[in-house]
Amino acid sequence: MGARNFILIMSLLLGLYFIILMPFTVYMTSKPYVEKLGIIPRAEVLQVVSADQKQLVGASIITKVVMYFGGLLGTEQSKISLPPDYQAMSRTLHAAMRLDPYNMDGYYFAQSILVWDVRQFMIANNLLESGMKYRTWDWSLPYFAGFNYAFFLKDYANAAKYFKLAGDLSGNPLFVNLTGRYLHEAGQTEMAISYINTMKKSAKNPAIKKTYTIRLKALEAVRSIENARDAYRAAMAHLPASLDELVSSGYLKKLPADPYGGKFYLEPDGKVMTTSKFAFSK
Amino acid sequence: MNMIIGVTLKGIFRDRVFQGILTAAVLFLAIPSVSTLSMRQVTELSITLSLSLVSFIMLLLAVFLGGTSIWRDIERRYTFSVLSLPLTRSSYLFGRFAGIAIFLLLTAAVLAVATVAVVFVVSGNYPPERPVAWGAIAAAVGFDALKYIFLVAFAVLFSSVSTSFFLPIFGTITIFLVGGATQQVYDYVHSQAGQALAPLVRQIATALYYVLPNFSAFDLKVNAIYALKLNFQGLVLTAGYFSVYTAIVLFVSAAIFSRREMK
Amino acid sequence: MKNLDLSVKQGEVFGFLGPNGAGKSTTIKILLGLITPSAGNAKIMGVDVSSHGARRSVGYLPENPAFYDYLTAEEYLEFVGKTFNLPDALLRESIEKVLKLLELWDARKRPMRGYSKGMVQRLGLAQVLLHDPEVYILDEPMSGLDPLGRAMVKDVIRELKLRGRTVFFSTHITSDVEAVCDRVGVIVDGCLQSVDSVDDLMIRGIEGYRVQVRDAVHGLEEQFTASNRQGDIVEFTVTSQDLKLLLEKVVLSGAEVVIVEPRRKDLESFFLDTVSRGRG
Repeated sequence: MGARNFILIMSLLLGLYFIILMPFTVYMTSKPYVEKLGIIPRAEVLQVVSADQKQLVGASIITKVVMYFGGLLGTEQSKISLPPDYQAMSRTLHAAMRLDPYNMDGYYFAQSILVWDVRQFMIANNLLESGMKYRTWDWSLPYFAGFNYAFFLKDYANAAKYFKLAGDLSGNPLFVNLTGRYLHEAGQTEMAISYINTMKKSAKNPAIKKTYTIRLKALEAVRSIENARDAYRAAMAHLPASLDELVSSGYLKKLPADPYGGKFYLEPDGKVMTTSKFAFSK
Repeated sequence: MNMIIGVTLKGIFRDRVFQGILTAAVLFLAIPSVSTLSMRQVTELSITLSLSLVSFIMLLLAVFLGGTSIWRDIERRYTFSVLSLPLTRSSYLFGRFAGIAIFLLLTAAVLAVATVAVVFVVSGNYPPERPVAWGAIAAAVGFDALKYIFLVAFAVLFSSVSTSFFLPIFGTITIFLVGGATQQVYDYVHSQAGQALAPLVRQIATALYYVLPNFSAFDLKVNAIYALKLNFQGLVLTAGYFSVYTAIVLFVSAAIFSRREMK
Repeated sequence: MKNLDLSVKQGEVFGFLGPNGAGKSTTIKILLGLITPSAGNAKIMGVDVSSHGARRSVGYLPENPAFYDYLTAEEYLEFVGKTFNLPDALLRESIEKVLKLLELWDARKRPMRGYSKGMVQRLGLAQVLLHDPEVYILDEPMSGLDPLGRAMVKDVIRELKLRGRTVFFSTHITSDVEAVCDRVGVIVDGCLQSVDSVDDLMIRGIEGYRVQVRDAVHGLEEQFTASNRQGDIVEFTVTSQDLKLLLEKVVLSGAEVVIVEPRRKDLESFFLDTVSRGRG
């Protein structure tokens, strides 16, 4: 093969490569997300095939989920709505946790998406409880579990138990205080804000941090409405008929916006809700 | 070149590689019973396991046949007797590559038959919710074979420069890992979360994405397992991508190998 | 290697002599396109060796050859024949001929991994002869062979010479050169020291003659040095100049000449001289 022939063939091939590369890249980026998250074999199978690399496989699976979620969030911001496959994410995470029950990323991420977005509180708590058997030193797992019991499941007895455990492990009296301060219906929003602040502080992944920032904004909006509502009730001895009434009567300067794109409203029992249900529309 | 292909195939068969594959393929027999571990998707699990087994066997073949065949010729001094024949170095290299590629295709065909047999048995006993997409299963095995042939081209490239088998073997494994990750990295870099990275890092990642091989395109396992519709245009693009990229890698290998001193 | 300038004539047997590591194999590998010279060029039958077409007219036996050992001798020869584009019928005929010639016919269906070193060497020769090329390049063709094998190789080379083929072979064994070569080149440390016709060397190397005479008259022994006497046979050692004189005297005296034998520096000492000159 002469040098001239080589250069000729090579430039031809490189030209072809660039011609094909553009549509190929477009095709690859437009492949549906479900395909990209892929499917992973069952945990039992994974445990066998990952041999002595269980931690590596577990970690790579979690990374995959986190990246998938991060990518999804990006498109949501630009208002292209793709339904996130929470079920697949949850399944994947569970498999990863079977491989490496010590991997904190998994618990953290599971707590971040499972409870808020998938509302699988019991599954999340089961995961956390089994994690506590391994990460016996870690206060955050009982803290997460306590929060789930208190905020979502309204199981204050269990919540108190886990907050105490978190307090014992961290030596931080905050958690013991939590038990007293928030474990009643009225302190829910306050508790959630404090919880999210804690979570946000420890969040390193920008995508997760972003979800917390948005959720915090929403919760702060709820708190401001709740404060206005309570002031109204204290003065008028009855609940306002609607949020507009709170604004028109001057208790609320203006109706805060829901960062999830919904509209806040007042339920008949006085609970502040939003049409977005605190999630991006799917 | 045909002679080299023939000699390569004879060598692979005489080394009892095929018997080795059949031994590994005995694992197929275990798949139906392992699949029943799944509560809700027995057939899907059997497809997953079969395709993974096929993929794993072909990975081993690509790495070891691709990484050792040329190295062994040099190491055992076969190159003196063969390259002194009136053959060009390129035709020797292409013949080696084509021989291994044909063997991989043959293996893929045999393993595809095994997969179909396993899935057929399992789906008969545990009918899946959606009918099994046989075409997608065949496509998944076929594109898997293409992926590993692609990988063999890299093994040949490494063999054309290296005097030991370390570079061909480990280089090929590295390419396999890198090729599987490029799309993920690219997606991440171009996601919202990736914007936080330094611009230089993102530019480098993007440039690498265009240069490095992309193996995710060849992965049709999901389509096969969940009977999802195949994107025909996408498959054509992938096949084109495969042909052009493989040709480039082979031409570079041939250019290097032609200039190599056979001391 | 430095300044190697050498041409081998068509139809001659050229011995390439040199100590181990002198550059014999390197020269040959350049001829086969296995190595590219840093400068200069080489041609075989007028075709530059950088083209694979140059090898079309060549049969090459590498030093300590190795062939795909999972193939049988027959399969390997088939492979070689096809690279030379031999038509099928001719190829089959050729394979049978060379395998029988080199006594590998009975082993032809066995994979070569079971062959002895000598058998592999003979197969190497078989694949060289297979396509009946114009030019034979043999790197140490006698190595690894027993005396029978060496004799066989020498016969093969003589036969090629008779058929007007060109043979270029390297060796470090001088007697091989003496036995079959027309010309010999000596290479030392990458430099070509000399190229000579073997016949010339043989004549130039004559230092004297050993003459045995029966019933020699007295006086001869005084004039020429008699080295030995056995019964009625006297042996003289004379220089080339004295030979004619001695023979005339013997004939005149009516004695009988039993043996006239040249005493010469053999090729080995010529080779050793050349090497030490080259290194000195």
